[in-house]
Amino acid sequence: MSLPDRIDPRPPRHIYRWDLDKTYLQTEFDTFRQLMRTAFQKAAEKVAVPGAAALIRELRSRGDGRLCIISGSPKQMRSVLEQKLRLDGVDFDELVLKDNVRNLLRGRFKALRGQVGYKLPVLLKSRAAAPPDSDEVLFGDDAEADAFIYSLYADLLAGRVPEPVLRQVLAAAAVYPDDAARTIAIWRKIPTADPVRRIFVYLDRLTPPGRFSRYGPRVVPVFNYFQAALVLMADGHLSAPQVIRVAIEMVQTAGYNLLTLSNSFQDLVRRGLPLESVANSLLRALEGPEALFHEIRPFPDIVNAFTKRLAALGTAPAPPAAVEIDYLALLEDARPRRTSTVDDSKTDPRR
Amino acid sequence: MAGPITIAFDVMGSDFGPAEVVAGAAGLSLEAPQIHALLVGDRDAIGDTLKEIRHSGERISVHHAGSFVAMDEKPAEALKSKPDASISVAAQLVAEGEADALVTAGNTGAGILACAQRFKLIPGIRRAALAAVYPTRRLHGEKEDPFSLILDVGATVEASADDLVAFAVMGASYAKIISRNPNPTVALLSNGTEPLKGPARVVEAHRKLKEMPGLRFVGNVEGVDIPKGTADVIVCDGFVGNVCLKMLEGVQETVIELAGYAHKSKLRWRAGLAMLSSGIRHLKEVTDWQQYGGAPVLGFDRILIKAHGRSQARAIANAGKVAAKAAASDLSRTILAGLPK
Repeated sequence: MSLPDRIDPRPPRHIYRWDLDKTYLQTEFDTFRQLMRTAFQKAAEKVAVPGAAALIRELRSRGDGRLCIISGSPKQMRSVLEQKLRLDGVDFDELVLKDNVRNLLRGRFKALRGQVGYKLPVLLKSRAAAPPDSDEVLFGDDAEADAFIYSLYADLLAGRVPEPVLRQVLAAAAVYPDDAARTIAIWRKIPTADPVRRIFVYLDRLTPPGRFSRYGPRVVPVFNYFQAALVLMADGHLSAPQVIRVAIEMVQTAGYNLLTLSNSFQDLVRRGLPLESVANSLLRALEGPEALFHEIRPFPDIVNAFTKRLAALGTAPAPPAAVEIDYLALLEDARPRRTSTVDDSKTDPRR
Repeated sequence: MAGPITIAFDVMGSDFGPAEVVAGAAGLSLEAPQIHALLVGDRDAIGDTLKEIRHSGERISVHHAGSFVAMDEKPAEALKSKPDASISVAAQLVAEGEADALVTAGNTGAGILACAQRFKLIPGIRRAALAAVYPTRRLHGEKEDPFSLILDVGATVEASADDLVAFAVMGASYAKIISRNPNPTVALLSNGTEPLKGPARVVEAHRKLKEMPGLRFVGNVEGVDIPKGTADVIVCDGFVGNVCLKMLEGVQETVIELAGYAHKSKLRWRAGLAMLSSGIRHLKEVTDWQQYGGAPVLGFDRILIKAHGRSQARAIANAGKVAAKAAASDLSRTILAGLPK
């Protein structure tokens, strides 16, 4: 019997849960044609959202985090998705995919597009097996019901959602009764705790950020993963050099520049996220001897851009107020969405 | 100019308040990835509007300004008493190079004065000119614009012969770049087509323009030629230009009111108008000033686009595009090259 290379006695302190399509991968499947193209794409043809891979690598490099990926892609795509993640240097602990063949064979057509009935039990099951004192950061997008599902999951764990509300939500989301019963059964077994610290919603469709204020300040809509990195630095998950490395990847691979990065920074400050200390730490990190940081732009430009964006706002805006989430009022967000008929690509620079 | 272009938007002071200007800039951030919007005005008002509309947070930044100049305020007094007015702050940011051009839908006088206090005039230009586009019968340039350019329409009430010559060069340069009209025709507005008609400064300007190389001067035109589109660029002083422009706007409004009157009075007329409705709609779309965005103030080393006070989001976005195009093609240098040596 051979021993493992490394025995890590520490249980993971952080769990990072990522959605895949439109959160990690730039995927289009709003039309049948796009769906087919996505299904037959090779690993090397799949494109990650700028900065996503770098952010995951930095989060993983601290050694105390667990990466759990949950995707609505069919199980048949496991091999190509694993290959893509390997190509990006992303090492994961869990990759859960949807068993759509089984849904088809059982005639469960509503489950093919349904998100709540699929993701919520998977999240709860994964949590049930996680160390009780580990905290969680979740990453989703604005294309489906991620803000709703992740917030519901967080509040279920924290005991803030009564069972009748959960039942109503599951019914409204067209979850099959046996799946609903299974979801409730898993939830009941999990000890009450409040582990979800942050929910990031990547604005793939450029949904106005204000639409997510109903989910409270825990949900942070982001235009890019530099913004997520800044917030994660403020939350103690990343150091300044790590954030800068995420920025460098975005500059080098996706055409980000000083303007887009400093605008992204100011966007978060305007929304009331307390990032002044983050800015100061970043500037201190840039003053260090590491030549790597000078790849973005000469140092004085970076300092100027960030300090100017802060000063331009005058006094710091008030932080967003905490809200009690009324899931029954937000049920519309939980229902399976129809394919979009609006062609956003005409006015969408991401396309 | 390579790379992204930043347009400063004076968010406050338009007839519709900050909402339409912010919406226009937000739309621009989605449509034109190379254009960045710097929104100058009340931080909270901008933030409240922005978070409820689709935009790209990567291409928009905000600069807080504590006050603004209202439409009914006297420009000089207002700018003096409100040093933190959004138009002053925006003009200062452009002057310092934080943005490449300025768009305002606020008080015209305050906009021009704020820029005059901070921008430099192009060497050889003595006075700035406000240019306006107006719908014409003839199409112009590669884009087949149904618009001509008239300047000055109010920035310089009394212009000398040399000022009129400079206006001609500025207008032609603008038409070359914005309307993609490589060799625009330029005319002088007078009370007759003969070279000796009009006041002394117009006669002298005619003589100088005729001798200018590189300028396609077609002589004098009369008021009747303005809507015909006889020339691509029509030059006059600010007093005459403003009177003409207001008259053109008044005629257009009256025609629409008369059509409404006809619609109400007789069934036959109503039927006739109904049959013409798609044509009228098309005509309205073609001549819609909102698609043109705004009027450039020419003569400064920096770009100022004055959007209509009643501009809505589409007009603001188009004004931003015009400003970006003018900044990207270095309009000031083109003007400088065309001026008499």
